[in-house]
Amino acid sequence: MKTDSSKSATCLNEPAHLVVENVAVAYGGKAALGDVSFCVPVGTRVAVIGPNGAGKSTLFKALAGLLPLQSGNISIHGFPLGHHEDCVAYIPQREEVDWRFPVTVVEVVTMGRYGRLGWLRRPGRKDRTIVARSIEQLGISDLAHRPIGSLSGGQQQRVFLARALVQEPHILLLDEPFTGVDIATQESMLAFFDQLKKQGVTVLVSTHDLKLAATNFDHVLLLNHHLIAYGPSDQVLTSEHLMQAFGGQVLLLNGAVVVDKAIHKCKSYEE
Amino acid sequence: MIDWLVVPLTYSFMQRGLMASLMVGILCAIVGCYVVLRSMAFLGDAMAHAILPGVAIAYLVKGNLFFGALVAAVIVALSIGFFSRQGAIKEDTAIGVLFAAALASGVALISTVKTYAMDLTHILFGNVLGVSSTDLFLTAGVGLGVLITILLLYKEFLIISFDPLFAATLRLPVEILRTVMLVLLALTIVVSLQTVGVGLVTAMLVTPGATAYLLSKRLSTMMVISASVGAISTISGLYLSFYINVASGAAVVLVATGIFVLVFIFAPARGMLWRFIHRTNAQRGTFREQ
Repeated sequence: MKTDSSKSATCLNEPAHLVVENVAVAYGGKAALGDVSFCVPVGTRVAVIGPNGAGKSTLFKALAGLLPLQSGNISIHGFPLGHHEDCVAYIPQREEVDWRFPVTVVEVVTMGRYGRLGWLRRPGRKDRTIVARSIEQLGISDLAHRPIGSLSGGQQQRVFLARALVQEPHILLLDEPFTGVDIATQESMLAFFDQLKKQGVTVLVSTHDLKLAATNFDHVLLLNHHLIAYGPSDQVLTSEHLMQAFGGQVLLLNGAVVVDKAIHKCKSYEE
Repeated sequence: MIDWLVVPLTYSFMQRGLMASLMVGILCAIVGCYVVLRSMAFLGDAMAHAILPGVAIAYLVKGNLFFGALVAAVIVALSIGFFSRQGAIKEDTAIGVLFAAALASGVALISTVKTYAMDLTHILFGNVLGVSSTDLFLTAGVGLGVLITILLLYKEFLIISFDPLFAATLRLPVEILRTVMLVLLALTIVVSLQTVGVGLVTAMLVTPGATAYLLSKRLSTMMVISASVGAISTISGLYLSFYINVASGAAVVLVATGIFVLVFIFAPARGMLWRFIHRTNAQRGTFREQ
């Protein structure tokens, strides 16, 4: 394994689970990610932080094998992407799904088993048991036969977590899971990540919430088309790095970092 | 009362017409669920019109109209898939261009034939009472093939319709499945030509599906309800046309539309009346709290 970058130093003393080397990805004809390298050890919770349009979703889509790499490699357990078909579970942003589709919670969660079933086969007893267990684990048993369109944002997010869980993934990717979700769901999601960590599941989450990233994740990955910093939060979330990532969008107030829309709020307080 | 139902059936053209319409009604209604859920109504309409040149060529060379239509439909299905995959222009624009060109060449070809007005009417609006036994067997065969394919690919079609991104992460061949679905749609439209015609097949695809959508929370339920609406409207439409002497395709579509309007108003949860009562109650509730 190449160790040409100081950013991948964490891989030296721990078994590498996910290795990203010099990855470049284009999206919609434009270069979205360039020369990104990092590695994630087994069972690490990583928060991916960056301004809007920094390439967070592009990174996740590339990791899920949905976008071709222009250059570089992504490997899992030392094998290239696509070698382990069911290894990566990806939960996209909620806007990417048709919520008015006539489908119930159980049906959506069962879809997580389809990758293992293969063609022409229907879910068996084992699949149903796994589905039921996962629905119970996420506390949505009483909603099991409801159409997904009738659920709240937080409940919908739990359904997608349950679906990812029945995929029995080694790596779980969640794109903006905390957006539009109530505090209770957020708390139970964080508890759920802790539980996954114990099972050795690696979790990558993109978020705008710096405080959440600093307190609830093992590593923080700061991204703005290029990798700016990666590692424990106290080393990554420095004012220097944040200025680099967010540029003019960042504002430092008595040691606290205020990003993006929050700036406008501060201004209105002054008035 | 019994006579009223039985008398039309004493004519063998009526028997064949009923059988063919019933099969087409059910087939369109089931395939139509995907048309409704994937917003493919325009595509279905375009495909129906694009079949015309195939029919015209088959007519000119005195070949089988059915196979002419079939070949044209499959070509159109594949080329729509090709055009929208390239992403150079938007899908509905590609469909619009393709379907206008196909329709124009169909009309041009047919206008070279002297008796074209009559033949064109049959293609555009169907001629259910002219169904032959060969047509009946072809319809049954193709319809059965389409339904079996849907049954076998049910979970794959469900997943690419509901969440194509997730389907791609499962490494499903999304593009191939989408093309298979387009071909099934093309086949359905071709077997519907004889009974409802190019002009009205969209209604048979969309209206029962839209009705069922208002009444169901699962795709499988939606398909069963849609098929029932399709069956009821074809049978009652055909009887209507027999007794009040209107074009059969039109009668079928109007019955289906009538059912849709009733369901749109009275359906539980998604219907107009239900939502109105719900809203009024909610408002009353908040007033009381104040």
